Amino acid sequence: MPDYQAHDNKLTLKVVFYGPALSGKTTNLMQLHSLLNPERKGELMVLETRDDRTLFFDMLPIGLRGTSGLDLRLKLYTVPGQVQHDSTRKAVLSRADGIVFVADSQPSQQDNNAMAFGNLEENLEKVGLDIDTLPMVVQFNKRDLPGVVEELELQQRWTSTPWAPLMMASALQGNGVIESFRALLDRLYIAISDEFALEHRHGIFRHTFIDGLSACHEADRAKL
Amino acid sequence: MRLIVRNFEDDPTLQDLLSVDQLERLNRTLSSLCQAPVTIAEQKTTGAIPVEFNLETVAWLSGGHSPEERSAASELVSFLMMFVAKYRLAANLHHDTTEASYAELQRQNDALKTSEARYRALSDQLQQKVDEQVSVIQQTQQELYESARLRSVGQLAAGVAHEINNPIGFISSNLRVARDYIDDLKDSLPATPDHEELFRDFHDLLSESMDGTRRIASIVADLKTFSSIDQADYTMCNLNDLLRSSSHLVQTEHGHQLDIIERLNELPPVAGHPSRLSQTFFNLLNNAAQALSDKDFGDRKGRILMQTQMGTDSIQVIVQDNGCGIPDDCRARVFDAFYTTRPVGSGTGLGLTVARDTAHAHGGDLTINSRQGAGTRVTLTLPIKAR
Repeated sequence: MPDYQAHDNKLTLKVVFYGPALSGKTTNLMQLHSLLNPERKGELMVLETRDDRTLFFDMLPIGLRGTSGLDLRLKLYTVPGQVQHDSTRKAVLSRADGIVFVADSQPSQQDNNAMAFGNLEENLEKVGLDIDTLPMVVQFNKRDLPGVVEELELQQRWTSTPWAPLMMASALQGNGVIESFRALLDRLYIAISDEFALEHRHGIFRHTFIDGLSACHEADRAKL
Repeated sequence: MRLIVRNFEDDPTLQDLLSVDQLERLNRTLSSLCQAPVTIAEQKTTGAIPVEFNLETVAWLSGGHSPEERSAASELVSFLMMFVAKYRLAANLHHDTTEASYAELQRQNDALKTSEARYRALSDQLQQKVDEQVSVIQQTQQELYESARLRSVGQLAAGVAHEINNPIGFISSNLRVARDYIDDLKDSLPATPDHEELFRDFHDLLSESMDGTRRIASIVADLKTFSSIDQADYTMCNLNDLLRSSSHLVQTEHGHQLDIIERLNELPPVAGHPSRLSQTFFNLLNNAAQALSDKDFGDRKGRILMQTQMGTDSIQVIVQDNGCGIPDDCRARVFDAFYTTRPVGSGTGLGLTVARDTAHAHGGDLTINSRQGAGTRVTLTLPIKAR
């Protein structure tokens, strides 16, 4: 849930990158860190351990200011994907405002995707969040690998869910990462703008919100 | 360093990140690097520039030789803060998750304890049920044993009675004929005083013998009633008849010395098991007789009252004596199987147990009122409409 501190005129939102182990959650965040050039950007805090596996989480804070002086911040977190870190996942997931579910496109990983999604549903319920109303984007990563499940098949499989259409990405190449993030920002803005009167009180319109937080370096923008 | 319980994700303050000593040391080393001393503080002072870390102003840096020096120093501090914050974040998250896991474990432990307690209660209940069943089985076994013993004694008695009945029949009839012959003989012999004496004596002998055979016949009849060998298990019984037979047998047992007062009122027939009822009456009367013999009456006499009366829906059989009574400390145990105050070998401790079981088996009850030294009254209540 958004954390608004009136005396500082500060609104903090939390976006969590969830998904099975080794699906590329940290890679997504690292790409965002290097590609994004928002109004304000903090340090990427990576808490990796042996073999570059995430033990606790990664965190990247970004932000922008409204015309009212609103200090709007977005903290992007990843969770550890490995099954045994469930209590850490739950702690990171609590009070989330948006989710990017990073799935693995390889056929062999489809069961793991399903299990991780089930785990997400379960943990959301435990921390008191509703998967049906929480802004969420589902991204199928590793599209650059050979033999991945066809996009058409994936889209059809998810077509009747609230999360269609799916986002396709190749985080290692930097493809689809910004698009997934923008799709999430869009859903997030719809969910929270009224409550905090982002448009009327703070002069943050939908496009200011999305463009302001997903602005890219000029060189990268040219590449996209 | 102050200890505050905060979410791991809350933005850290300078105090969260560095202790007072560490801050002092940082100020000292930075000052020696710079051309003029610098100060890092949580509160803003004039000319201070912000030290930003993750979009948050965590401190203010003042002093230094030039703005460039200040901003370089601030940059260095931000860089250092990242590693401190990383550690702090990880530590806080670890703390949070450990707490959560521990709370979850405790919840599970409590649930386990609850379920264990439930199973223990269940197991206790089961044990209690098993104990109850075992006692029922023991009781039934005892009853079976008793009834089997009773049946074999009854069969023996009935057999003996049957065998005795025939000879007693012809002895009795022969004696009567013999007495008639004596009368005939008396007329054909000269009437001398010696003869007169002889004949009178002979006549008396035969009369006494006939009286003896009548008594034998009556005992045999009582035995047959008592054992009820020729009757089905449940039949319509005349309780008064059963009581009388039992009373005769008890008299026989005690040398016809007992003063038994009969107050038997008209009763309807009762459906029951005659031999078990007889056994019960015998036990009660025998107990009463024992109670009399256990008391010193001086010149007065012990008495047994045997009474039957009819209520609205039940019949009461009362056996009362003015004997020794039951001591208070024994009264609670009189119905316990194998409980007896008599010397080893002279009582089984089953009399009242079997009597009460018989009462229950007939849908009735057996109650005892007793005062030590004054006497005992046993009341057997039987429903008129027995099963």
